[in-house]
Amino acid sequence: MKFLRPLCTFLFGLAVLLFFGLAYPHHLHYQEQFQLFLFDSTYVWEIVREPGGVADLLGRFTTQFFLYAWVGALIIAILLTAIQLLTLRLINVQWLYGLSFMPSFLLWLFLLDENALMGGVWAVLLTQLAAWAILSLAKGWTRRILLMAAIPVLYFLVGPVCLPIPIDSLWIGAHYHRYPTVFPWLLWGAAFSIWGLMGITLLIRHFPKHFSLHSPLSTLLLTALVAVIMGSIVWKNANYRAEAVMQYDFMARHQQWNRILETVNKEKPNNQIGVTVQNLALAMHGVLLDQLFNYNQNGIAGLLPDVKEDATSPLPTAEAFYQLGMINVTQRTVFEAQEAILDFQKSGRCYKRLAQTNLINGQYEVARKYLSALQKTLFYRDWAEETLPLLGDEEAITRHPEYGRLRKMADDEDYYFSDHVTPEMLETLFFHNTDNGLAYQYLVAYYMLTGDRDGYQNFISSIKQ
Amino acid sequence: MRKSFTIHCALFASVMLLLMTACTETVSNARQEAGQPQIYPDYVGVTIPVNIAPLNFCMADEKVLLIDAVVTDNHCNSLHAQDDEMADFNIDDWHSLLAQNRGDSLSVVVSAKYEDGWHTYRPFSIYVSPDSIDYGLCYRLIEPGYEVWSKMGIYERDLSSFEERPLIENTQFEGCVNCHSFNRGNPADMSLHIRGKHGATLLRKDYGPVTAYNTRTDQTLGLCVYPYWHPSGRYIAYSTNKTNQLFHSASPNRVEVFDTASDLQVYDVEKNELLLSPLLKRDSVYETYPVFSADGRSLYFCVAADSLEFKVDSSESDATIPSAFDTRAVSNTSLYTLNAKLNSLRYNLCRIDFDPETGRFGERVDTIVNAASRQKSVSFPRPSYDGRFLCYTLSDYGQFSIWHHEADLWLLDLATGESRPMVGANSEDTESFHNWSTNSRWLVLSSRRDDGLFTRPYFCHVDTKGNVTKAFMLPQRNPRQFYRGRFMSFNVPDFITGPTRFDSRQASKAINNEYRKNFGVR
Repeated sequence: MKFLRPLCTFLFGLAVLLFFGLAYPHHLHYQEQFQLFLFDSTYVWEIVREPGGVADLLGRFTTQFFLYAWVGALIIAILLTAIQLLTLRLINVQWLYGLSFMPSFLLWLFLLDENALMGGVWAVLLTQLAAWAILSLAKGWTRRILLMAAIPVLYFLVGPVCLPIPIDSLWIGAHYHRYPTVFPWLLWGAAFSIWGLMGITLLIRHFPKHFSLHSPLSTLLLTALVAVIMGSIVWKNANYRAEAVMQYDFMARHQQWNRILETVNKEKPNNQIGVTVQNLALAMHGVLLDQLFNYNQNGIAGLLPDVKEDATSPLPTAEAFYQLGMINVTQRTVFEAQEAILDFQKSGRCYKRLAQTNLINGQYEVARKYLSALQKTLFYRDWAEETLPLLGDEEAITRHPEYGRLRKMADDEDYYFSDHVTPEMLETLFFHNTDNGLAYQYLVAYYMLTGDRDGYQNFISSIKQ
Repeated sequence: MRKSFTIHCALFASVMLLLMTACTETVSNARQEAGQPQIYPDYVGVTIPVNIAPLNFCMADEKVLLIDAVVTDNHCNSLHAQDDEMADFNIDDWHSLLAQNRGDSLSVVVSAKYEDGWHTYRPFSIYVSPDSIDYGLCYRLIEPGYEVWSKMGIYERDLSSFEERPLIENTQFEGCVNCHSFNRGNPADMSLHIRGKHGATLLRKDYGPVTAYNTRTDQTLGLCVYPYWHPSGRYIAYSTNKTNQLFHSASPNRVEVFDTASDLQVYDVEKNELLLSPLLKRDSVYETYPVFSADGRSLYFCVAADSLEFKVDSSESDATIPSAFDTRAVSNTSLYTLNAKLNSLRYNLCRIDFDPETGRFGERVDTIVNAASRQKSVSFPRPSYDGRFLCYTLSDYGQFSIWHHEADLWLLDLATGESRPMVGANSEDTESFHNWSTNSRWLVLSSRRDDGLFTRPYFCHVDTKGNVTKAFMLPQRNPRQFYRGRFMSFNVPDFITGPTRFDSRQASKAINNEYRKNFGVR
């Protein structure tokens, strides 16, 4: 039994690591792209001055590492394991070892939701650490007084998790979930379960004769029972469909055109983002028109979908706009997506793209603003510092393989656009620069998907003229 | 005992002085530069009010290792600041120096240390106007976006310090907040719109509690939009606008906000009724941006002929939250015809009589500035409260000039009827919304000259003859860090004569409550 418990704890941590690293990596990428952690005193102060701010800050700090899914998975594994070990310390009844996994399993379930934030996990951990410190260091009345005094301090540091009373007004507004009005029941359950287990422990201590399951077998069985039940709940509640969609978005973000086609060839996507990304990858390979109908299509909504007012769906479409050279359309789409982030955070991905669109458009001071912010980050700093010297350097931009090409492709004739991309827009783009093969493929694909033969004939006649 | 105390005090002061001077480096062997320094913000040669916050500044370039600034007056008083980032003046000493130099000039000597040593620049002047500026500024902070909004709010800023406070933020309710308006800067009377799920117009009189109104009536186009208080405080002029927007594919003017219908009306606060006139709700023209004259006997507004002729049903659009215009709704309109139509939509400045005693309008509309005949368009007319001038924005077309890089401010002399550009206030980039201080000697204006996108407030002095001084940017403790780090525009900056004392808890309760008091119609 001496080695069995550490082994079980280790296996739990390993399971969490493998789950987030192998089955759920794009959920972590999704989380990372909807925040921008800045090493900046104003940014830190704005967060920590709110109740729950310290937990929130730690949550945001750790989420920036989710850019690398395995690092993110490791962080989650360490945190959930630490919470299990602290739970065990707090209940301090060794045969209840199996139940010490309950809060961690509930937090695992909580994190299956792509809008659940890491601040909640940190809030639980910090509360446990404070409770453990007080229980270890003080006894009797000192302990009681310290516990009472700790609650308001903890409330300020970690928010309502420290006092898990399910009152909406206490929880709504705490930054545990991206939807500010959602009550995070699973997080509440995790926090409450620790109190519940501590209550059970007290009962056991008061009535030791009634609770005497001391055999190693019973401990093992209880642990196995918790692991099987909670593990299957986690597995069944994981949203693998969303994971697949997020994967397409991730691949488009990183311009992994070959990987997209490999993925598509294994299983053809049947969601809008997947089809949009699939068509972009086909076009980037120059085979969109040849292979258009070899894959699932969703009419023109699978080519260049109308821009919606949410943070997620416009981003893959914006990748297509960007590659086409529709720089202002990209800029608008990305800006709007960032504005739509529900908890008002900013996005490293969006800042980067906005710096690029402003650079291509020659709006260097605006680009500098985004780059200056990215200089204050851990993982975008190098890119920002490489890009800053380009500002104002027209020759270097012209020579740049991406920005120079996109400047050539971009519209120089002004017209108005809205949420809907029209064939006229693609035609204008193509005739501005007939080397823009992507615009040609998208325009002809547009006619093929809509069955607009007249439009196609007119376009071909225009080319001949 | 007293002698000992004095000695201790002198000793303490000497030590403190030593400590303070020990922290600064003496400017030595400096190369004398022929030109004046390039500083950020550009405060070279500006005229400032006596009660403005310290004009802290940085060097325009970012290679500087140390910046040293000495401000001196003609009475041998001086103020010194040295720092590696900026000239950060002591706020009390700054105010004391300004108070002693009301109506006089200050001289600023700037030295900057670079890797090759110190450089001292030709001194520049700052003129301290005897005209003071109002207590503060109220503005909305919002990202300069398109349709979707993130965090935003209405804030007030004390102009004599760097203190900024939120009045209300959209974290307190679901929706958007805009169009804050005061009666000649007096925060006792206030109007504010909330848009979205909890839409309402909030009104308060004499610092009382806010009341949430539904301003939509069956005799008007929709919700009340752009407000302007009558000097008596009894009336508020409003426009109603069916607002849409489209986006530019190549022009640096990213967004075009336009109306597909708009009218005007005046709200009688005492009787809770709207006053209408057929001359202000004509189908053939768009009327917008109503403002009362200083004596309250005229209503100025902008008017454009309906050249769009879009037969679209925009009844669903929520006024003041411009929705993207669905180009598919306009049949047989190619991309370029739409361009031509919108780009030829131009507004003139017009006027109609208004009788505050009876609430009746005049019988005719006069054109005061015929901008359309010069292929230009007027927006945001703002009369000075002394009745001498009217400041307006002139752009190439349309009425939402904040997105027009060519937009500039013009000054109309109401005595002669002549207009001229406000050269000192204008820049090569956008100048748009503006308003007067209560003594009519200062103008706050929105400009995008800083980086071409994010709107910042600037101030300029306008004397009784209409001479306009160089505009200066709203001071900040660390201007570069502040303006570079703030990704929000200062929207509709307007003067306030004192703290607003706005009860945001009561306001958010009123917003989140379903009850709305309906506007009546006379």
